[in-house]
Amino acid sequence: MQKIPLSLARTDMKLAKEVADQEGRVLCSSGVVLERNLIEKLQRLGVKFVTVEGHPIQFPWERPLAEDLKLLRARFSKVKDDPRLQVLHEAIKSYWITMRKEDE
Amino acid sequence: MSEIKIEIKKRLRNLQSLPTLPPVVSKLTKMFGNENTTAPQLAKIIERDQVLTSKVLKMVNSAFYGFPRRISTVSNAIVLLGFNVIRTLVITTSIFEMMQSGDLSLWEHSLGVAAASGILAQYLGLANPEEVTTAGLLHDLGKVVIRSEFPSLSQEISALVKQKKIFIREAEREILGGMDHSHIGQLLTNQWNLPERLTEPIAHHHEPSKSKKFFQETAVVHFADILIRAWGYGYSGDPWVPPLDEKAWEALGLRFQDLEEIIPLLDERILDLRFFTQEIRGEGFGQNNTLH
Repeated sequence: MQKIPLSLARTDMKLAKEVADQEGRVLCSSGVVLERNLIEKLQRLGVKFVTVEGHPIQFPWERPLAEDLKLLRARFSKVKDDPRLQVLHEAIKSYWITMRKEDE
Repeated sequence: MSEIKIEIKKRLRNLQSLPTLPPVVSKLTKMFGNENTTAPQLAKIIERDQVLTSKVLKMVNSAFYGFPRRISTVSNAIVLLGFNVIRTLVITTSIFEMMQSGDLSLWEHSLGVAAASGILAQYLGLANPEEVTTAGLLHDLGKVVIRSEFPSLSQEISALVKQKKIFIREAEREILGGMDHSHIGQLLTNQWNLPERLTEPIAHHHEPSKSKKFFQETAVVHFADILIRAWGYGYSGDPWVPPLDEKAWEALGLRFQDLEEIIPLLDERILDLRFFTQEIRGEGFGQNNTLH
């Protein structure tokens, strides 16, 4: 699933999470397929983001997983001998791997 | 004391006239220090200054704090958020602007550390997580000042980081006669009479054990800095994760399972911040913007 600004939402995208307003009231439930009218209505209600299924949009900051993991390893290169920081390295790595698998 | 150190201290003393701390903010800072100040008195002063009012409201409603409800008046903000949050907001808004107009990647790093500090403070059940968030935002204030007030020294520092592949803090010490950004941040925040719960994390975020009154808060900012550098969000002058302080790590008591809970929260906040800074950079996601 991917969280995207409502301005990038298109018809036929499917909601992966319910949409709620600022007071926490549910406006639209998970699983609904977006239609033009619905997108316009959500815009009028001030909704800024929606979470949709899959990974339909490539944002400028996104890179392939292998490249992300390589850069991550490089950032930890000066603290390789600290087992506590290796725990942090592992935690971030396994989170990224799990998240990307869900997208596939 | 080396000549360069004396010169830097002299220049910093004159920074008091920076537009970032206008007289109204100095007045408010004094009021915050007085225990008898009431919320309506404070709202009255802030609301007299339209620029500050709009800044505070913009900030309260921005993705930085991420409050769910829209807040439209300063009085409302004080009632809803409390005295401490508003105090930090007033200080933050002024400095925030200075950071935003400088290096955007350092600003992103600071926003990231602010978010991570807030998440950690809340997770660990610290009092006033909003203030820890603000301390996170301001932790690299010294770097902002070095870049804006000593641009040629700043270039020398960046060049040394690249040439010797050392942490920016080490390069700063070589170029600035033994001083680094945490010393400069400390000097400036003392001059501005900011509260100790902000000055200690700014002064000691690399060596939290030196923190006297707010060790836990400083330890949080220390680890938040490590988290954000590890994540690779923004750029704080060098590309590496800095060393972890043993006492801070013990005090935080985080285990792998805790990190597994904290990381998804951080991911969500960083995504919000990416959209937020994208808008500031003028590369917002408008209706006609196609990134496909």
